Amino acid sequence: MTAGVSAIAATAGGGLLPLAILLPALGVLLSFLIGGRRSEWIALGLMPLELVVAVGIAYFVWRSGQPLVYTLAGYTPPLGIALRADGFSAVMLVTAGLIAPAAALYARANIATPQELTEKRAPLVFWTLLQGIQAALSLVFLGGDLFNLYVGLELLTFAAVPLVSLDGRPETVAAALRYLLFALFGSVFYLLGVALLYGAYGTLDIALLAPLIRPEPAVWLAAGLMTAGLLAKTALFPLHLWLPPAHANAPAAASAVLSGLVVKGSFFLVVRLWFDVLVGLPGVIPGTILATLGSAAILFGSVLALRQARLKLLIAYSTVAQIGYLFIMFPLGHGPWAADAFSGGVMQALSHAFAKAAMFLSAGLIAESVGHDRIAELGGAARVMPVTFLALGLGGLSLMGLPPSGGFAAKWLLMKASVEAGQWVWALVMAAGGLLAGGYLYRVLAPALSGESPQLKKAPARGRERVALVLALVALLLAFAPPSFFAFLQIGRPAAGLALQ
Amino acid sequence: MTSATLAGLVGAALVGLGLYGLIANPQPLRKILAFNLMGSGVFLVFGIVARKGAAAGLQADPVPQAMVITGIVVAFAASALAVALVLRLFEAAGQATLDPDAWAKPPDGGAGAE
Amino acid sequence: MSALAQQFGPALLVAALVAPLIVLAIFLMFGLRGPARAITPLAAAPALAAAAFAIGDAPLGAELPALRMSLWLDRPGGLLLLAAALVWLIVSVFALREGQGRPSADRFAISWLLTMAGSLGVFIAADLLTFYLVYALVSVPAYYLVAHDEEAASRRAGGVYMAFALIGEAVLLIAFVMLAAGEPSGSVQIREVVTASVASPWRDASLALIIIGFGMKIALVPLHGWMPLTYTAAPIPAAAVLSGAGVKAGVIGLIRFLPLSAAFPGWGEALVWVGFIGAFYGVAIGVTQRDPKTMLAYSSVSQMGVIAVAFGMALASADQGAATNVAFYAANHVLVKAALFLSVGAVAALDGRARTLALIVAALLGLSLAGLPLTGGALAKLAVKDQLGDGAVGVASQLSGAATTALMLVFVMRLARSPAAGRAGASRSRLWSWAALAVAALLIPWLMFRAVGSPAEALDPAKLWDTVWPMLIGAAVAAGVWAAGDRLPRIPVGDIVIAEEAAFRASLSLGPMFERADRALREWPAAGLALLMVALALAAAGYASR
Repeated sequence: MTAGVSAIAATAGGGLLPLAILLPALGVLLSFLIGGRRSEWIALGLMPLELVVAVGIAYFVWRSGQPLVYTLAGYTPPLGIALRADGFSAVMLVTAGLIAPAAALYARANIATPQELTEKRAPLVFWTLLQGIQAALSLVFLGGDLFNLYVGLELLTFAAVPLVSLDGRPETVAAALRYLLFALFGSVFYLLGVALLYGAYGTLDIALLAPLIRPEPAVWLAAGLMTAGLLAKTALFPLHLWLPPAHANAPAAASAVLSGLVVKGSFFLVVRLWFDVLVGLPGVIPGTILATLGSAAILFGSVLALRQARLKLLIAYSTVAQIGYLFIMFPLGHGPWAADAFSGGVMQALSHAFAKAAMFLSAGLIAESVGHDRIAELGGAARVMPVTFLALGLGGLSLMGLPPSGGFAAKWLLMKASVEAGQWVWALVMAAGGLLAGGYLYRVLAPALSGESPQLKKAPARGRERVALVLALVALLLAFAPPSFFAFLQIGRPAAGLALQ
Repeated sequence: MTSATLAGLVGAALVGLGLYGLIANPQPLRKILAFNLMGSGVFLVFGIVARKGAAAGLQADPVPQAMVITGIVVAFAASALAVALVLRLFEAAGQATLDPDAWAKPPDGGAGAE
Repeated sequence: MSALAQQFGPALLVAALVAPLIVLAIFLMFGLRGPARAITPLAAAPALAAAAFAIGDAPLGAELPALRMSLWLDRPGGLLLLAAALVWLIVSVFALREGQGRPSADRFAISWLLTMAGSLGVFIAADLLTFYLVYALVSVPAYYLVAHDEEAASRRAGGVYMAFALIGEAVLLIAFVMLAAGEPSGSVQIREVVTASVASPWRDASLALIIIGFGMKIALVPLHGWMPLTYTAAPIPAAAVLSGAGVKAGVIGLIRFLPLSAAFPGWGEALVWVGFIGAFYGVAIGVTQRDPKTMLAYSSVSQMGVIAVAFGMALASADQGAATNVAFYAANHVLVKAALFLSVGAVAALDGRARTLALIVAALLGLSLAGLPLTGGALAKLAVKDQLGDGAVGVASQLSGAATTALMLVFVMRLARSPAAGRAGASRSRLWSWAALAVAALLIPWLMFRAVGSPAEALDPAKLWDTVWPMLIGAAVAAGVWAAGDRLPRIPVGDIVIAEEAAFRASLSLGPMFERADRALREWPAAGLALLMVALALAAAGYASR
């Protein structure tokens, strides 16, 4: 119980936590009130502040070596609601704080209010909802109460769905509707699970709930329901039906945020659930089921990516595959390899976020410059758009898991943990996944590097190319994360002793 | 059987009916209705939890009631968003269906309409 | 360690890895394409110096903590690095000059520099992660050295090459992970990991994967199909460096990763068998080929088989001194094979007396591989004699010398018959490079031999006869093959790779099956049911594991 008590008292620096949620929420409000083309300025003005807040939170967590806690209005749980930032939260906040402005800078060129209008629907919605996504992500990463997290999850879905149908074409609206309905399906399951947990234990605060959890039927049912609901939002195979059309048909900046960040939000909650709330339960068999689904996702998604004719659909199916890697960490949560497995999973989330955002932004540039994104007709495009294809290629390097890249670091850690745990089948699957990723990248890059000279409708803007390249380079630089980074990720992980109760 | 047990069974039945509707019905509007049905079932379960809990010695625990209210608001917002999308879909395409075969492939990979 | 080595050693090691990348940066970022091409040969100079120190002196080491890289060069690595750096240096003088202005020339140059960095780095990498990185560098960018133009043959060769490279890398990744997992203190230094692997539970699995992974790189039969295709399709400078220096990444891999501190008789014997099969198979298929470059590729298959035999014998008897001897054998092969490829180009470009001279040089080089007395090859055979011993293995390896003689003589005869492209195809620098490399291939082994044994030993008449009688047999076989002429069967380049390609194409038909499954799963009812089942499965799993 000692861990529980200390995790519900407010800590120094905790004041930054509500700020991380309120700043983007303020941006949403202001955008609605003031509206028009100023919504873009509001968003671009607030994003640097949000990044500063995220870095500040990370700094305080690192300096104190403990999670930051903030209790709303001073009421401590179980009556009040607490916000908590541990190492994982802080790192995800910084990631969101970097990718969202990158997407925003990219989108300035083609999601802008035209000069002759004071307000246009699509840009207003984009800039407002980008902030909405940031507010929701902050709530998801920092929330310490399961119902609060439900609200954050819903906010995330509602902010993400309209971005899919931003251009109003019937295909995108249908894709958005599918996304919304399937996500709502998942939400109801999550809510039912929350109800069962409250009914069993009378509290939903994570730090208070964790020591109380016993292996009883209510808990298992709740765990199954909540996890399934979150998996529907994370589009883990076989629940991936909404992702390819949604991510492929959204505008490039929106796809970058959707694939890079939104999907990671619900994944974050699955980790919270299994590694923080249900940590007292023997989770090897459910973890194995999750990793099996993940392996199926890797193989299925990669093979399907190989068969796509359109670049953005290929990248979307690649997301389906890469999400599978995230779930390999679940059966490896107990034992001397647990820290490696956790670090590997987090590193995979981070490097995929940056690499996939870079790839979607590059694909958007390619589609705009060449006029289409049919892979078969991209011959020679790399010679006329070298920086764009460099960003695409470097992002792909991380996806393949070739060194030096964050993707390789993640793969190495996860494979090592799998072998040490005796569950070497995951290592085989990951190696095969890397091969298949090499296959679909070769499909895109080899014709692009051939000697043809295609005609460009317009040359890609340098600034936008550089944004994509910087994101890809961050994915590569993650390979050089020092050991203190992995120690930082472990801040706030429950002690192993709790696992044996 | 107590009223709590009856309510619990009704809640479970609602969730089950909603589940069936959500899985089996192809039309989006019916799916939205089924979602709302499931939501109602879940709220009923919350109500029973409130009855059982009564942690503070009150007749019913107020926390689940707060959660139900929040849930109703969220479900309302969700339904509104979904209905708006269905309306827009019908306007744009003349039919409201989620069947992926109904939509022709965009000729230019979605780039032109950004 | 001499003061000079101590002072400059670490810096030279780092420079060896970094110099090609610096030239690449000059090429790309500053746009100075011409100057970058001109100084490319110099990029191999630090490696040459480092190798000289390592052979003559104590091993060199360097650490780059910021990048988490550690480098180390011992005598076996030094021997190989010396030969590889020399080849890169000499061939780079003319390799990048040709085809300038064509779009594929830039691509070729970038791949050249990246492959050079990987090829030189692979001999000095000291930890698992750095090794994997440079191994990827030496394998993957070489695609554009092979598929250098848009011809269908090059693309096919490039595709097969990439498939083998990537599969080999995946196999090695699993092996490396197992080695790292077996090291209790978490170190990733290769020496520590390999020592720990003897006692780890994954010893056999990792050993198998190491042999398979590096075996793919050195074209051990039956994983050899890519080599003939690649060396036939690649232009001569690329074939020279790839067959010379590139393939030896697999050899250094085996030197570093085979646990020679403990005896593995079963694995050792298996490796010996596989090696001999490769040694004779390579020659058997090679003599039926018509293209001289293909014959050289099959000769490499055969020579790598001999190296595998030496490794196998070392593994079976825990012979740690084998590393230096095998490295010498492989280093000799680096020089000779690269010089042979350049000879093919030289013979094609010359006519008259010059062409005859070139053919004689080619014959000398080829027979050197077979162990012609007074050549580097004889020294090489002497070096590994300790490993091969005098029993059945020793006799079999002498017979493989006969086989090599046959192959090389047929090669020279085919080369003589091949059409001359005329002086138009030869630049001065190309011919001078060839001359330099040929001289190096014949002389340098004598300079390096001091690291392995005493040169006086090489002149011992008894040992001379040991190498000469197989060559006489080989000459007789060559005469027979030549007389058979066109009655020899026409085996397609790459032999069994045809079957492997067919299997690959068959596996592609699984694709539509996956697509149909995806369509079915993405129907709403299927997905909805799946969601329900996932929830129930997780709940049931939890209940079952209570």
